[in-house]
Order: sequence, then structure tokens, then C-alpha cells
Amino acid sequence: MTLATPAPVPAATGAPAPVLSVRDLRISFPSEAGPVEAVRGVGFDLLPGRTLCIVGESGSGKSATATGIMGLLPPSADVGGQVLLEGRNLIGLDDRELSRVRGRSIGMVFQDPLSALTPIFSVGRQLSDALRVHQDLTRRAAWEQAVELLDLVGIPDPRGRAAAFPHEFSGGMRQRVVIALAIANRPSVLVADEPTTALDVTVQAQILDVLRRAQRETGAGLVLITHDLGVVAGHADDVAVMYAGRFVEHAGVEELFRRPTMPYTARLLAAVPTVDGGERRPLVPIGGEPPSLVGLPAGCPFASRCAVALDACRADEPGLREVGGHGRVACLRAGEIADGTLDPAGGAAPADDRVPAARAAAGEVVLRVEDLVKTFPVTKGAVLKRRIGTLHAVNGVGFELRAGETLGLVGESGSGKTTTLMEILRMRRPEGGRIEIAGTDVATLAPGARARALRQDVQIVMQDPLGALDPRMPVSQLLAEPLRAAGRDRASIRARVRELLALVGLDDTAGARFPAALSGGQRQRVGIARALATEPRLLALDEPLSALDVSVQAGVINLLARLKSELGLAYLVVAHDLAVIRYVCDRIAVMYLGHIVETGETEAIFADPRHPYTRALLSAVPVPDPARERARERIVLEGEQPGAARLPDGCVFADRCPLYRRADDTVRQRCRTRRPEPALVPGRPGHQYACHAV
Amino acid sequence: MVRSVLRKAAGWVLMIVVATNATFFLASWFLDPRSNFRELRPVRSEAQIDQALAPYGLDPRVPVVHRWWDWLTSVVLHFDWGKSPTGVPVNGEVGYRALVSAELVLVATILSVVVGVALGVYTAARQYGFADRISQAVSIAVLNVPTSVAALAVVFVAIWLNQHAGLRFLYVAGENSPDVTGTLPVIGDRLLHLILPTLTLTLMGYVGYHLTQRSLLLDTLDADFVRTARATGLTCGQAIRRHALRAALIPTAASVAFGIPAIFTGAVITETVFGWNGMGRYFIQTIAKNDVHGAVATAAFAAALTAIGAILADIATVFLDPRVRVS
Repeated sequence: MTLATPAPVPAATGAPAPVLSVRDLRISFPSEAGPVEAVRGVGFDLLPGRTLCIVGESGSGKSATATGIMGLLPPSADVGGQVLLEGRNLIGLDDRELSRVRGRSIGMVFQDPLSALTPIFSVGRQLSDALRVHQDLTRRAAWEQAVELLDLVGIPDPRGRAAAFPHEFSGGMRQRVVIALAIANRPSVLVADEPTTALDVTVQAQILDVLRRAQRETGAGLVLITHDLGVVAGHADDVAVMYAGRFVEHAGVEELFRRPTMPYTARLLAAVPTVDGGERRPLVPIGGEPPSLVGLPAGCPFASRCAVALDACRADEPGLREVGGHGRVACLRAGEIADGTLDPAGGAAPADDRVPAARAAAGEVVLRVEDLVKTFPVTKGAVLKRRIGTLHAVNGVGFELRAGETLGLVGESGSGKTTTLMEILRMRRPEGGRIEIAGTDVATLAPGARARALRQDVQIVMQDPLGALDPRMPVSQLLAEPLRAAGRDRASIRARVRELLALVGLDDTAGARFPAALSGGQRQRVGIARALATEPRLLALDEPLSALDVSVQAGVINLLARLKSELGLAYLVVAHDLAVIRYVCDRIAVMYLGHIVETGETEAIFADPRHPYTRALLSAVPVPDPARERARERIVLEGEQPGAARLPDGCVFADRCPLYRRADDTVRQRCRTRRPEPALVPGRPGHQYACHAV
Repeated sequence: MVRSVLRKAAGWVLMIVVATNATFFLASWFLDPRSNFRELRPVRSEAQIDQALAPYGLDPRVPVVHRWWDWLTSVVLHFDWGKSPTGVPVNGEVGYRALVSAELVLVATILSVVVGVALGVYTAARQYGFADRISQAVSIAVLNVPTSVAALAVVFVAIWLNQHAGLRFLYVAGENSPDVTGTLPVIGDRLLHLILPTLTLTLMGYVGYHLTQRSLLLDTLDADFVRTARATGLTCGQAIRRHALRAALIPTAASVAFGIPAIFTGAVITETVFGWNGMGRYFIQTIAKNDVHGAVATAAFAAALTAIGAILADIATVFLDPRVRVS
């Protein structure tokens, strides 16, 4: 086979040759508006055993790059450039030739483990199939190897579990199986596309460890695609930052985090909320939105959002250039920024949406929850459903929320956070306990005018604004709907809609547009405005930021803070992202299996977590700083949160508790037999935790 | 597996019993065997007619519950499903016609499923390609042609072929030729007669499988697990056949199993055009001739086929989706 351009000459003898070289990769997809140029000239070398992280926001082309390398793009995609795997160009090979490379020389780990495995085959069968595609093995030998692979990725009882089907595994366990599939034939290159995005943070830490072990075991080069800068800091050797289909900065991980040189990288790092470090610093959002990749205008695609853009930036798109002692950066002013003579943020942070320094004094109690209980029946049988158990989703949860205050419910999925929220929003007599909204016990509430008034006092902001807003209504209609339901007249509705748009920082023209025509951040602002329409006193926010990109997140965080202090709102926030929680909440309650295990002031808990679960949860969050991320000691919890169908008599966390393992017999006895009562931390009012062993 | 099939089968037997008895009462109320005799010349009195019907258990003067009890005991004790108003035994009719229908239906069903599913897989893998568009257009056109028109078209084409080829191997009417003797020639002769009706039934039947299988497969083609399978080193075609198709076949298997009773008794038009005496025509005839026992036997036959189809569907699902075996 002859190549159009010569393969890269291996560097001086002694240095290992790259296992994967990508040269000027270009990918475009046809669309009704014209070709979408998803990847516009990406190139890198990957050495064996090294990890290249590609970071970027959604739509920056990182997933297209990964699938392009694997040759798994849809046939309609137009691909150019070279992907050299061990010197052989993969671009232009047909499906049959590529299939001999895929799985053998290059393996891939996908984002969503729930759908990545064929539901109708056992995991052992899928693994041994993957082995037998490339190796001449008997059925039995392949099965034995599959069991070994499952053991390698940390599946307990691999021999027994090999015959189980994917639906019998949890998300984290399935992702381990996907990793086992990827490394089955010891490929020289691994591509992992957002491998932990769909997982809980404690499981994320486990999976990243497995990935690292798999890489060490096979000596493969790893291309790790992620949007999480903390993951990058912990795992990358080299980092490539992607924006609008190109690498805009490509450097070693130390250099990149020490002095991010492309203004986009610098601003991205400034916009990321973090969990560690002393006082929280204000977030500086990047204004604007990532550009559309259809008919991109000339010039640097970041220029319109850049604080230090020159006229020349808008004329010509800068290529990647070597910056001494740093790496390669696609910016005309990279030299000045690398010297430290230019601040990439342009000096001043934007004046609007600033976090108010002083916290408003807490007002009257808006929400009081006492001993809330919610169970679901577990049933069996298709026609005659028999109750075979009870799922204790929420078990004795209680808290208080005052006007002007934000309470965050934190925990892994399945810990009962959302159920708690929904029970409050239901405004009916709870199964057990009491819910009091603005001084009214909801159990005593008869349907009628009083119930409707109270309903207006409590509003919700949903996780996915695209799903929560009716796509067939323009924004002004969406905002008017709750007001019409409240019986307002036409003129006051029109005035209020304009007011709401201004309140959330949207201009009047947005009122005439449909949700599909708005960006993610704008949509979430509409979602917030809609919730605010009836002037509620309590706003329930269910994962309000998890559908948003980092650069947009910061703006919404700041907006929420401003609204709270201006309107004296109380927020009840449910989120799994602890860094976001830290920036939004005054107090947090950590939940595990339907119980609150620790509660207190946000900064107090982040500075001095007491409950072992809180500690593990906080330590599982990766920190976007390579030096600290690699040096710090992490508590990696073993196993996963069990189901809430059969709760133990004692502490619900005992099975995974690191303290329990080290405790002596008398403490263990107590952990096993008695639910721990909340205990106050001396000298810190409001900081409580429930543990026998601390 | 065996236990659950047996349990399902018991449920279906109960269902058949209830359906058949309900049909008996409905048929007894709505079908009036006396009207068959009123047209006869010389005109007979009502009493004479009733007298004539009495030996067959159809005498309207006997309360319907009595007639039902007589019919039920003879079915249960002797498996005798009664006689038509003219005294023809139902057992013989149904037995003969079920065989005739089976000949027609079996080959046609297998052909429609094979052709339909194969076409569905082929075109789904080439969505919006040339082959997909052409076959889709043909299938939609065929879907809109009534069976009678299609059957007549097949007859015309066959006659034209016969004339131009100078042969007589495509028979357009009847189940067999009366003058053929000997085992092998008879079988060969019947097979030759089978060609055209089978062709018609296949043409009418494959369309549904093609269109549904194509859309079912398209739903699973973009599934993440197909991409995972390709990432482990399967070609696109292998990934579709081994991973996507198996999941997408489950609904098709169920619809095939449930489709069998429908074509057994529903191939009326094809049977009529080609002069075959199958179950479809029999069903229409029994109702037209006020044959209570014949209509009930046909209903029981269809109910039994539905039960068999449902159990086959369950077995096929278990075969295709091993997850069912676990629970």
C-alpha cells in the first residue's frame, strides 16, 4: 500500500514510535443547512502507554474525532486526512479491512454503558465472541479468557457472573464489561469516549482506575475524550483542547494547567466550579455560545467570545503554533499570554451576574420537612401482582429551608433525592411525616383556592430544558402560560413576560422564538423565568445545570445567585455534581439510601466532612489541577449503592463503610444493629452527621 | 420452560372451550337452518322441515340448551362435531378442507416470511439506497392491490405463459387433475396445482413482513450495542445479523405465529379464484347455508390454531431472547 504523504518518520532511535498518528483529520456531515464541518484538521501523535485527553464542550467535534479514528462514522460522513495506526492509513479502507483492525489493534469504550451491550447475549458470550473474531480459539478457551478478563476489570465472582445478562448488572459494572470488550484482544490503542459521564462520581473513580489498570496491562496508548477538566488533570499525559472542530491548544498536562495559553482554555478553567481549595472563588462565565459549524465565518471561531481578540483574529484563523516551553497553541496572542504579559480574561470579569459577596440574612421558614417517608411496592407477576417487598426510597428525612437560603440535596443516583423533591411538589399528605410549605401543613390542604395559591408559591426548574419546554410554543407563550393559569389579565401578562425576560438576562426578541431556536443556556434561562412567573417563594431545582456545558454553566450559576438575593427566594437544589452544589448552596444535606447522613453549612462540610460517606463522595470528585489531583489521597468506595428494597437494621452505609472495616467489635456491633442518630458537631450549629464510628 | 408452556396451554384450552360454546349459542340464535328448506319445491310445511332437521340435532322446537347439551356430549364423548342441515358430517368436511388449506398455507407462509424478512434486512442495511427505494415502491404498490385483482393478474400471466411456452404446467383452477393415478404422479400433480395460489398468497403476505421488519431493524441498527459489536471487529453486515437482527426478529416471530390462523381461514378469495376447497371457503359456506355445526367447528378450529400460534410465539421468543429463560 502506498501513502499519499509519507508516514511520519520515527523520531531519533530510542524514542518509541507513535502507535497512532492522526494527520489533518477532517470530518463533515451533510445537513439541510449545508455541510456541518464537525472536525476541521485535527492531528496528533500517540505514544504507547501514554494518555491523550481531548477536552471540549458538546459540539466541539471530540466524539466525531473518536468515531472517525475507529472508522465507525455513518456512511454519509465525508472523511479526509490520515489516521495512521502502526504506520497504516485507516482512512479509505473498506468495512471488511477495517473490521480486521477494530477490536484487535484499536479498542473503544463508549459513553452509555446501559445501551452499549447487546441485551440478549450474556456478557461472557459477548466477550468470547469478541475474542473469537480475531483469534482462533475454541469456545471453551474463549470462555476461560472471558472470565479472566472479567476478573481483570474487577467484576466480583467472574466465573458465575459471566453467564449473566447485561440487565443484571449495574451501570458501573456494565462499563467494566465494555472496557473488558475493548481490551479483549490487547489492542495497541484504546479510545474512550466520555467513559464516565453517565456514571455516579464514586463509580467514576472506580471506572477510571479500571481504565488505567487496563491500559497498564496492555501497554496501549489511550485517547480519553471528556468534558471534565478534573478527569483530565488526573489522567492525561497530554491534553488537547478542542473548539469548533479544531485543536486550539495541545500541551503537556502540567504546562496546560500551569498556564493555559489559549484564551478559551484559560476562560474554561476559570469557569469550572471546583470542590477543593480554601474559599470558593467567583466563577467567570465565558459570554456567548459556541459557534455553529455550518458555514463558519473566517477568522478565529472564538474571537466573538474572546476578551483579548484583535482585528487580525477576525480576518484569519490562526493555526497551531509552537510556543516555547509550553506546547502548541492556535492564538495570535499566545506569546504574550505565555509570557504573562497579557491576561486572557481581558482584566475585568463581566460586571453583570456577579455573585453578591454578603449572604442575605435568612428569613422566615418557607419549607419544613419532618420525618418524611416514601416507599414503593416491589411487585412480581404479570397479571396478578404480588407484593414481594418494599422499596424504602425516602426514610425519615427532615430539614428546614428559609427564605433567601439554598439547600442542596446531594447523593448518588438512587439515594432518594428526586423522590424527596417530588413528594414536596406533590402537595399531598405524605406517607409518613409532615411537609409544611409557607406555614401550611400540606396534609390539611383541601383542593381549592388555597391549594392553588400554594401551588404558585412552589415552582420547579427541570433538568433538561429542551424536554421541559413545549417545542410548539414560542417563549412568550411559555412564560404566559403559568400566568394565565393564575387568572391574570392580558395586559399584566404582557408586562410580566417582558419583565421576566429581563430578569433572567434575555432580550425582548427572545420572546418570539421557539425553544429549538435557543441555545442550551438560553433555554435553561427560559425554564427559570417560567418557574418565576407566578412569583414563587420556593424554587425546586432538579439537576438544573447538568445538561449545560461548562462555559454556559457558570452564567446560570451566577444568575441563580443574583435572583435569590434580589427576590428573596428559597432554593431546594438536587444535584449530583458536588462542585456545582458548592457554588449554589448555603447548606447541603448528603443522602444515602433514603437517609440524610450529614447536613450542615456548605463550606463547613466541604472543609471538614465528618461522615465517611461524605468524605468518600467529596474525595471522588476529581480536581482540575494535576499537581493536587495526583498527590491527594483518595477514598475510593468499594462496590455500589445497593438497592433500597431490603435495608439493614443498623447503619445503611455499613456495607461500604471504610470506618466500619477498621472499627473494633463493639462499634461494629452498634453499626450492625442500630441506626445512628444525628449528632451535632461541637461548636458548629447546624452541622450534624449520623455515624457511630467517627 | 416445559412447565410454563404447559401452564399457558391449559389456559388456552379453557379459552377454546369458552369461545366454542359461546359460538354455538350465537350461531344457534342467528342461523336458521329452516330457511334452506323453504325455497324447495314442492313447498314443505314448517312441521315437515323441523322433522327433517331433527335427526341432525337442529330441530328448532327443541330448546337451545338441549341441543347444546346433545352437541357437547357428542363432541366430548365421540369427537363428533355434528352434521350440516343436509346431513353431511362436519368432521369429514373439516378434516379434508383443513388438509387442503394446510397445503396452501404452509408453503405460502414460509415463503412470505423468508422473502419478507430477507428483503427487510437487505433494504434496512441500505436505507434510502436504490434497492431500498425500488423494493419499497413495489411493496407499497402490492400492499394496495386487492387480493382478487392480484389473483386474477396471476391467472392471466399464467395463461399467457402457458400459451407462449406451449406447455400446460401452470394450472389455474382446482386442487388436482381428475385423470392422474399413482402416488408419485398425484403428488406431482398437486404440487403443480399449488404453484399459482401459493404465489398469490406469498405476494399478499410478504409485504407486511418486509415493511415491518425493515422498520424494526432500522430501530435497532442505530443502537449503541451494534456499534459496540462493530468496535470489537465485526463487519457491518455481521453486526447486523448477529446482534441487531436477533432482537428485531422477536416481534416478527410473534406476528407470524398469530398470523397463521388468520390465513388458514382468511384465504377465501384466493381459494375461490383458484377453485380450492379450503377452510376459508368452508367458513363462508357454512354461514351462508345456515350450517350451525359447521360454523361452530370452524370457529373451534380457528381458536385451536390461535392457541397453537400463541404457544409457538412464546417458544420463538424464548429461543430468540435468552433473557426470558432466566426469569
